[in-house]
Amino acid sequence: MRGTALLALALYGGAGAAQELAVSALAWVPPAPGSYRLERILHAPDGNVLDSDGRLHRLSEFTTGKITLFSFIYTYCSDPRGCPLAYATLHSLKQTVERTPALHGKIRFVSMSFDPEYDTPVAMRSYGGPEARATGPLEWRFLTTRNGRELAPLLDGFGQDVSVAAPQPAGRRIPVLSHMLKVYLIDPGGTVREIYSTSWLHPAVLLNDIQTLLREQARAPVQARRR
Amino acid sequence: MQLNRFTRAAALAAYFGASLLGWIVPPALADETCNSPYLSNLIKGQEDYVYVWTLGVPGMGDGSDKLVTLDANPKSKTFGKVVAQVSVGGRGEAHHAGFTDDRRFLWAGGLDDSKIYVFDIHSDPAKPRLVNTIADFEKRSGLVGPHTFYALPGRMLIGALSNSKDGGGATGMALYNNKGEFIQKYEMPAASAMKGADGYGYDLAVNPARNVILSSSFTGKKNYMTPLGTLIKDQGAMKQFGNTMVVWNLKAMQPEQVLNVPGAPLEIRWSLNEGDDWAITATALTSKLWLVKKDGKGQWQARDVATIGDPAKTPLPVDISMRADGKGLWVNTFMDGTTRYFDISNPEAPRQTYSKKTGAQVNMISQSWDGKRVYVSSSLLANWDKAGKDNEQFVKLFAWDGKALNEQWKVDFTQLKLGRPHHMKFGAQTGQRTAWTADPARVAGR
Repeated sequence: MRGTALLALALYGGAGAAQELAVSALAWVPPAPGSYRLERILHAPDGNVLDSDGRLHRLSEFTTGKITLFSFIYTYCSDPRGCPLAYATLHSLKQTVERTPALHGKIRFVSMSFDPEYDTPVAMRSYGGPEARATGPLEWRFLTTRNGRELAPLLDGFGQDVSVAAPQPAGRRIPVLSHMLKVYLIDPGGTVREIYSTSWLHPAVLLNDIQTLLREQARAPVQARRR
Repeated sequence: MQLNRFTRAAALAAYFGASLLGWIVPPALADETCNSPYLSNLIKGQEDYVYVWTLGVPGMGDGSDKLVTLDANPKSKTFGKVVAQVSVGGRGEAHHAGFTDDRRFLWAGGLDDSKIYVFDIHSDPAKPRLVNTIADFEKRSGLVGPHTFYALPGRMLIGALSNSKDGGGATGMALYNNKGEFIQKYEMPAASAMKGADGYGYDLAVNPARNVILSSSFTGKKNYMTPLGTLIKDQGAMKQFGNTMVVWNLKAMQPEQVLNVPGAPLEIRWSLNEGDDWAITATALTSKLWLVKKDGKGQWQARDVATIGDPAKTPLPVDISMRADGKGLWVNTFMDGTTRYFDISNPEAPRQTYSKKTGAQVNMISQSWDGKRVYVSSSLLANWDKAGKDNEQFVKLFAWDGKALNEQWKVDFTQLKLGRPHHMKFGAQTGQRTAWTADPARVAGR
């Protein structure tokens, strides 16, 4: 049960410990980069967000200009097929990006909280650990919002559902949130090009999709000149 | 406040006891057993409602297609009664419906007018509301007859039956986002594109673990809108039915393999049993069960593994429903009004172990996750349903104890002037889930 133990590390240790996570093998071979098309699914919504230092930004600052992998999380998520899985996958991919100079400066991860009350900027910074301060070849942002009213349109815009999965016992304030894990691949123009659920959330799939977008970008100026 | 993650973990542990890691969002399978594997908020217990997508009948009530909500909770005072109905204000051959991945909306299509109706079933599951009508399906995709509504993350993949050029069986799939915006069209492979292909379409079913979509094949609008008695006398028209299934690369949305499955393979059901990698379909015209499974070389193969009734009498299998454990399969045959149970513990050799005449004509069949309840509806297509006294229009609930189907109630759609009931999907009361947008304060339970 090593996998479970490592997932538990992610749960308790937040993003900072997730590099110890193992990612399970994929049961299928992802199509080669550029051999398929990533559809333009929807435009990423915009709104006010707080970075992990508590500074106010527009979300679009973090969903444009680079290829972005965006996901909603909450720091106390206990579902091993939820947020911890997202972290395990992103950490694995991060290592690949760091080893690949051609990807440096082109990729961004954004982890944004479902729960603005518990997940304050301080909590997100703590959760992000060293990642929240890193200035390496890959940018990883840990965001939250000032309140539910500012979060709601972002959830709605992304089509991310969340609900209270269990009633609150008297005196307890820790909610149990039910959500379907979704990680969004966003192109530099701010358009969502893929939505990953549990079954597709694998570094190899993500990497191929990123490379597919990079090839598309590389072709775009040529096509523009031809037009 | 500086959060201490270990304090938080300890508090969680105290809150949830030893099962801290045991709280898991239910695996993405299904509630009744034939939904998209991407569907969230599953109902594994008692369903509260059955949503019935119902064809309008001229002169019956308002004559329009409508979504009828039946109370399915035995503890309710209105158990087995109609508790809501939403008319769409027109008649377009209502047929199939499917939930979005977040289970907040039900999309339902018309095979004749190619309109798609989006119902909000989460704000008040007892009273669905029509919130959007997608009228650009044919214009944007060139396809006709939106049939299967299959949820993908944030999207709806719609399998069509026909096309706008000639109303024949060459068709494809259209992809929309959950907001109802068209994204892309994918054509079924034609004979010119892939050896053995015929371009027809019907059902879709995804196996995410294998990155596979299976599609099946039926017939075009010219045929399915023709009265059945006329159609079967037209030898040319009867040749215009699909004989293939296609294996698609789901990630790439590209067809990879054509399987020869003669006789109009219709509904496709992947086994939901953990570790299984096979699917079953039934062929309408040849009355057989077909197993789709990889061979020893890793190639998908389809082969017929059982007959359904007497194929010479064309019982016309029209719907199948697989148990959640992949061990049993219900099959409805329209012509003889019979509901059959096959033991598919060995999917290579299904055995019929039970049958019951459940109506003069029966069509869709949906079972609960626990397999204890089986719902049957009566209508196939407006022009294919039987006439006279055999034109029964109902939804019936049967209890299944493993030995016999026992009728619990029957809702007579003719007597209630509702129309012809076809596809059935389950619903649950509010409280099992709460949408953020409905009340943002609820997310933290405060």
